[in-house]
Amino acid sequence: MANEKKYGLLSAIVMGLSGAIGFEIFALLNYAYFDLAGPSMISALAFCGIINLITMLSYSELSAAIPEVGGEYTYTKVAFGGFISFMAGCLRWLASVFGGALAAVVFVDQLGVLFSVFAPSIQDLILANVAVLIVGLVVVLIILAIRGVEEASTLIVGAFLAIFIIFLATSVGYTLTPQNIVPEASPSSVMHFFATAAYLFPMFVGMRALVAGAPQIKNPGKNVPRALMISTVVLTVVYFAVAFVAVGAVPLGGEIVGDEIPLLNLAAKTIMGPVGAILFALAGIIASISSVGTAMSVQSSLLGGMSRDGYLPAAIQRVHKRFGTRYIAIIASSLFVVFFGISGAVAFLGYAASFGSLLVFALVNLSLIQLRRKMPRLDRPFKAPFYPLTPLAGIIMSVLLLVFPVILRDVNAEGALLSSFGMMAVVLVTYYLRMVKREIDFNRLRVAVGGICFGVGVTLIVLAPAVVPSSLFLLIIIVGLVSILAGILNILASARKID
Amino acid sequence: MEIRRIVAAIIGIAQSAVGVLSAVLAFLLLCNILEVQTVFTVPPELLPLYLLVLVLFSIFSVLSGLFLIREWRGTD
Repeated sequence: MANEKKYGLLSAIVMGLSGAIGFEIFALLNYAYFDLAGPSMISALAFCGIINLITMLSYSELSAAIPEVGGEYTYTKVAFGGFISFMAGCLRWLASVFGGALAAVVFVDQLGVLFSVFAPSIQDLILANVAVLIVGLVVVLIILAIRGVEEASTLIVGAFLAIFIIFLATSVGYTLTPQNIVPEASPSSVMHFFATAAYLFPMFVGMRALVAGAPQIKNPGKNVPRALMISTVVLTVVYFAVAFVAVGAVPLGGEIVGDEIPLLNLAAKTIMGPVGAILFALAGIIASISSVGTAMSVQSSLLGGMSRDGYLPAAIQRVHKRFGTRYIAIIASSLFVVFFGISGAVAFLGYAASFGSLLVFALVNLSLIQLRRKMPRLDRPFKAPFYPLTPLAGIIMSVLLLVFPVILRDVNAEGALLSSFGMMAVVLVTYYLRMVKREIDFNRLRVAVGGICFGVGVTLIVLAPAVVPSSLFLLIIIVGLVSILAGILNILASARKID
Repeated sequence: MEIRRIVAAIIGIAQSAVGVLSAVLAFLLLCNILEVQTVFTVPPELLPLYLLVLVLFSIFSVLSGLFLIREWRGTD
């Protein structure tokens, strides 16, 4: 790893902005505006910015005190040790996978919007080949990531900001007065407001790419906190302004509806005409490419950290001889991005990315509190102000944002939560298997898995006559019998060794 | 003991295959490839639950099957 490059403050800001800015604004605003909160989505965005800023204070302190590879994973490891850090690393990785997949979906959507302007037949072709396009995009980015192409990030962020500035400048000529941007004081409005904030949260979290990449930055104790603060403020202001103009240009209940074209593209088309539609589609394409690339880079950094500590195979740390990048980690991460990306479920992926990130934010704030108590003399080039109020506020707000969409019974939120639990079950089994050293523990695990399979088999056979259609009855009975036999064999083989 | 090992191999391979097929089914349901959500009449609001059950069943089936294959290969 000695041959990795080092970057200055400007590159650090670009790294943060390129991770955070962009593609989510094209995908997430639609559901938030048309289905959840209406115009009060704008204030939900500002609320997200505040939560992000508070937690970035914790990130700044931790990244300055512990400028090592792995980001959140490393902070929680120093604060709490193995298991919690493994959980944090995996949650962060999961959030990055869902975020990367969402970016890949946005890439295809925006490509469709671009061609809808001047070649609708090509748009149909694009929408019919979503999976092929996502795989193609990821393959190209894998090649670029392995070759270590970094210079593109600066151009991408610069182009994206320029397009937004043109959009805002053009809108000055219009009278845009969005109504009700502050939620009404009713329980339902407040619940929808928080659910919207939870849903929009992935628009901000990408800048943690900067923290994960802290070891690549010169003088990280000074540059990382500065870059985090500057990136957060720039991002919040830009998002707020753009959402304000978009909501003003596309009022709810107006003639234009956002069923097929994303809100931002509609607003650009309304204000700037076909040129705006093309420009914003290009911006969406650029932003999504940038974010898929950043997600892959973050994932490779996290997997590298976990591999270094023995949770994952050592091969993941292998660095390419010529380009100095972790090529196996990059390829492994890309497979998951493709897997979830081709589902095309925007609202589900948005919530899934948000839930992982919110839990990580809560763990990072907890780590800050723990480290202040456990290691009071640790060298801290930057200290989070108003301690312990800032980390406590970060924890409370993260948990609130997690809870509200589920209380509202949002189907996408419930699906995202259940899927995240399922993925975490895989992660926990992996952790247990990887860290089991003694034979007796292995046999206990085998007995436990055997018991689960036995129970599942019996349940399948008992329930099959009542709930399974006759065409599948025989198949379910066979699966149940295999599960029972496998359970018995595993239990018998291991129980003797435990005794 | 030889018969036991052969049984372990057959059941292990069968269960691993069941686990892999469950994972494939979960993926087909997630992406609604071949309109499987309609074929199995899965209500959209229960889709996450179906996915969770299938994924967990898949994990435990593959694990259990691999334990038995490990026993058959003599590394246990």
